[in-house]
Amino acid sequence: MIKQSIIENVLEAALSTGGDFSEVFIEDKYVNTMELQSGKIEKSISGRDFGIGIRIFSGLQSIYTYTTDFSEEGLLLAAKRAALAIKGGGHGTIHTLQKEVCTPIHQIAQLPRTVEHARKAAVMKTANDIARKYDERIRQVALRYIDEEQHVLIANSEGKFVEDTRVYSRLAIQATASDGHEMQTGFYGPGAHAGFEFIENLDLDHYAGEAARIAVTMLGADECPSGKFPVIIDNEFGGVIFHEACGHGLEATAVAKNNSVFANRIGEKVAPDIVTYIDDGTLPNEWGSLTVDDEGEKTRKNVLIENGILKGYLVDKFNARRMNTEATGSSRRESYRFNPTSRMTNTFITPGESKPEDIIASTEHGIYAKYMGGGQVNPATGDYNFAVAEAYLVKDGKIDRPVRGATLIGNGAKTLQLVDRVGNNLAHGAGMCGSLSGSLPVNVGQPMIRVSEITVGGTKGE
Amino acid sequence: MDIIEFQEQLLVEANASGFKEAEVYYERSESFRCTIFEGEIDSYETSEEGGLGLRGMYDGKMGYAYTEKIEKESIPFLIDSAKANAAVLDEDDGTTIFEESQTYADQSFYSDTLANVEIPEKIDLITAIEKKVREYDPRIVTLDYCMLQNFTAERIMANSKKLSLNEKINGLIIYISVVVKDGEEMKTGSCIKMTRDFASLDADEIAKEAAEEALSNLGEQSIPAGKYPVIMRYDASASLLAAFTPIFSAENTQKDQSKLKGKVGEEIAAAAFTLLDDPFHPEAVVGSNFDGEGVATKKQEVISKGTLKTLLHNRKTAQKEGVETTGHAHKASYKSTLTVAPQNMYIAPGEKSDADLIASIKDGVLITDLSGLHSGASTISGDFSLAATGFHIKDGQIASSVKQMTIAGNFFDYMKDIEEVGSELHFLPGGYGSPSLRVKELSVTVD
Repeated sequence: MIKQSIIENVLEAALSTGGDFSEVFIEDKYVNTMELQSGKIEKSISGRDFGIGIRIFSGLQSIYTYTTDFSEEGLLLAAKRAALAIKGGGHGTIHTLQKEVCTPIHQIAQLPRTVEHARKAAVMKTANDIARKYDERIRQVALRYIDEEQHVLIANSEGKFVEDTRVYSRLAIQATASDGHEMQTGFYGPGAHAGFEFIENLDLDHYAGEAARIAVTMLGADECPSGKFPVIIDNEFGGVIFHEACGHGLEATAVAKNNSVFANRIGEKVAPDIVTYIDDGTLPNEWGSLTVDDEGEKTRKNVLIENGILKGYLVDKFNARRMNTEATGSSRRESYRFNPTSRMTNTFITPGESKPEDIIASTEHGIYAKYMGGGQVNPATGDYNFAVAEAYLVKDGKIDRPVRGATLIGNGAKTLQLVDRVGNNLAHGAGMCGSLSGSLPVNVGQPMIRVSEITVGGTKGE
Repeated sequence: MDIIEFQEQLLVEANASGFKEAEVYYERSESFRCTIFEGEIDSYETSEEGGLGLRGMYDGKMGYAYTEKIEKESIPFLIDSAKANAAVLDEDDGTTIFEESQTYADQSFYSDTLANVEIPEKIDLITAIEKKVREYDPRIVTLDYCMLQNFTAERIMANSKKLSLNEKINGLIIYISVVVKDGEEMKTGSCIKMTRDFASLDADEIAKEAAEEALSNLGEQSIPAGKYPVIMRYDASASLLAAFTPIFSAENTQKDQSKLKGKVGEEIAAAAFTLLDDPFHPEAVVGSNFDGEGVATKKQEVISKGTLKTLLHNRKTAQKEGVETTGHAHKASYKSTLTVAPQNMYIAPGEKSDADLIASIKDGVLITDLSGLHSGASTISGDFSLAATGFHIKDGQIASSVKQMTIAGNFFDYMKDIEEVGSELHFLPGGYGSPSLRVKELSVTVD
C-alpha cells in the first residue's frame, strides 16, 4: 500500500525524540451500504476509507497521530509532529522489518466488491417480503445491508511487518408493527467475517420472520412489572449481558489503572463453578473474528473465567507495560482514526448441563428474556443496564404472557455470582460494541442461563 | 492535490459521463486530544484528515460515493460507484441538486483566539484540573477519564449549479470522570465542557464541579419502587430529548416510523413546553449557516406552547408534503447519504430556578444522569426504560442519593406531563439544550 522504505523512514522519524516503540497502521477499506424501506431500495452508497495511524510509546506514555495525507512528506511531518510530544532525548532503535506470512483463517468465497448491487438488492427484497407476509400488522420493514473489505498493513520498530484483509457482511432487519394506535419494533442483525456467500446463504425465513414476530408479539404485550426477579436469558445475543456486565471489566483499558472491580483478582473465585467465560478471535468466519489483531498479533482463545475462577484479562501492547504482562492478541481499533486498545472479539459462556426446558420448568415466578436489546456498563463501578427486546413472564414453570419495556439493571460482579443455571445450547449473536477505540464488530454468546435475581425496571410497578 | 481544482475536475468529468447534476462535498479536519493520569500525559493524539463525497443525478436517480484518497486516480472510482449506486435505486429521489438560498446568515463558528492557543497551554490546563480534582477530597480514588480535545473542521460544498459554500468551525471539549469511594460504596461522577472561549475555562471551577458531582452520589439509599414526580435535571432532560428527536423528522413520519404523522397543528405537549431549533444560539458551540443540501438555516419553533408547529424537513420530504424545506437536510459527513436532523434543538426556558423546582416537590426524584439511551428508548413506540442516577427529594429538599434506578415511561405522554420548565438553560456538547423540568410522574424502580 505504501513502499516499505517510506514506512521504515516514518518509524525512524517517530523515534527521533527518544520514543522506545513506534508503529505504523495503514488502512485501505472499501465499504458498501444499501438501505431498503417501504419495499424499495432507497439509499446506496460506496466509498473508500484510506488513512495512516502512527503510534509512539515512551515508557507509559502513548502518542498517536493519524492522517489521510499519504505522501512521504506528509507522513514524515505527522511522525515528527507526534514525536514532539516526547521530551526524552536520545533516539530509539529500529529493527529490520521482517515480513510475516499471515495465513488467513477465515475463508472468503465471494468478495462483496465483486458482487453486483442487484444481487444484494434481491436478498434485501426477499427479506422484506418475508417480514411483510408474516402478519398484516407489519407496517414497515427497514433493511440495511453493509459490506466491508478492509486491507491493513501493520509495521513496528520491533521489526513486525504484517498485512491482513478482513471482509465483513451484515444484514440488519427491523420490522415495525402497528395496530393503528401502538407501534412496536423487532430487530435481527446477522453478520459474519465473510463474503457475500454469508448473505446469500442466510436463512431469511428465520431472521426476517423473527424480526416480524417480535414486533407483532410486543404489540400485544402487557407492561412489564418492576422488582427483583429470577431472570432467564436465552442463548445467542443474550450473551450481551455478560459482555457488558463482565467482559468490559476484563479489558486492560479498565484493569491496568485499577478502574475495574476485577482488577488484581486473578486466581480468585468471581463466579459460580458452572461459569466459564472465553474470548476467542479465531472462530472461523465469526463476526468478531480476526486473523491478526490491529497490532499485528495473532488472535487466540483467551480463557477469562474458568469454572468460576478468574484466569485472565484482555491485554493490548500498551497496557501490557503498565500491567507487566504480555499482550493477548486483543488489540483492536475501528479504523486508523483510533489508538488501538484491548477489546473483545467473540466472547461467550461455554455450555453447561441444563436443558433449556428444564431451566424454565424449574422457575416459579420470573422473567424470560428471549431477545436482548443493547446495554451499557460503567466499568469503574460495574453498574450495567440492558433493554430486553422480547420478554415474557414465567409463572409456575411455564412461559406466560409477553411483557414490554423491560430493562435490567444491576452490578456485573454481583450478577455473575448469581448465575444458577447454564444451559447446553450455546449460540453466538452479532453486535457492534462501542468503546475507547471506536465501534467494532463483536460476537456475544451463551447458552440459556438463569440469574437468581436481577432488578427489572418496567412501567407497571410491583 | 488542490481541493478546489479536484472538485472542479470531478464535476466536469461527472457531467461528461452522464450525470445531469452533481455536488461535491469536502470536509477537512484537525484535532488534538490528550488524557492525563496521575499528573502525566497518558495519551496524546493529533490528526489531520480529509475526505470527499460525490452526489449526482444519473438517469433520474441520485447516486453517492466517497473517498479519503484524494488523487486523480480516485475520480473513475467515484464516478463508477455513484453510477452503480444510482442504478440500483427503485425510485427517483424526487429531488434535485440545490441552486441556492437567497440569503444566508453569516454567523461565525470559528475563533481565531482559540486556534492560537498552543498545545502546552492546553496540557497545563487539563493537568491542573486533574491535580485539583485529586486534592479536592480524600474520598476521591482516581479519575477514570481526564481528557481535553480541540477540533477544527472545514467543509466546502460545490455543485454543478454553481453553488459554492464553505464554513469553518472549531471548539474545545473537556471531559472528566471521577471515581469516589466511601467504605464499600463506589460511585462516579462526570463533568463535560465545550467552548470556543479558552479564557473562560477555570481549572478550580471545573475540578470542583466534577468532584462535587461524584461526591454527591455517595450515601445512597433505597426508596420503594413506584410512580414519583420527577425533576429531570437540564442535562438528563437534554439527553432524553436528543434520543427522541427522530420523532420530529418528516422522513420518519412519511415512512410510518413516527407517531407524529399528521399531527402538525395539534396539541402534542403541555402548554409549558416550547421546543425551538436554533443553529445560531450563542451558548451552543455547534451550528451552521447552511444545511446538508446547501439550504440556509434559520431559527424556528417546532412546538409552541404544546402545539406542533412543524416537522423537520429536507427538500425531498418537503416536496412530498407540498411544503417548504425547513433547512434540516443532514449530512453527517462526506460518507453519508442525506437524512433529516435538527440543527440545535432546545427546550425554551421558563421562570423558576432549579432550587424552586426542587422545593415544589413533596416526595419525588431528581434525575441527574441517564444511561442506556441507545437501547432503552424506542423512538417508534415512544417507550423508554432507562438506568438513572439521582436523588430522593423529600419535603422540598434533597434527602439522599438513590441506588441505581430505572425510570420508565413513554415520551409522547412525558411531553404532556411536563408541569413546569426551569429557567436555567444548558446545552450538551452535541447541541441539544434544556432547562430542568418538573414532570408529573414516572415509574421508578430501585436496584
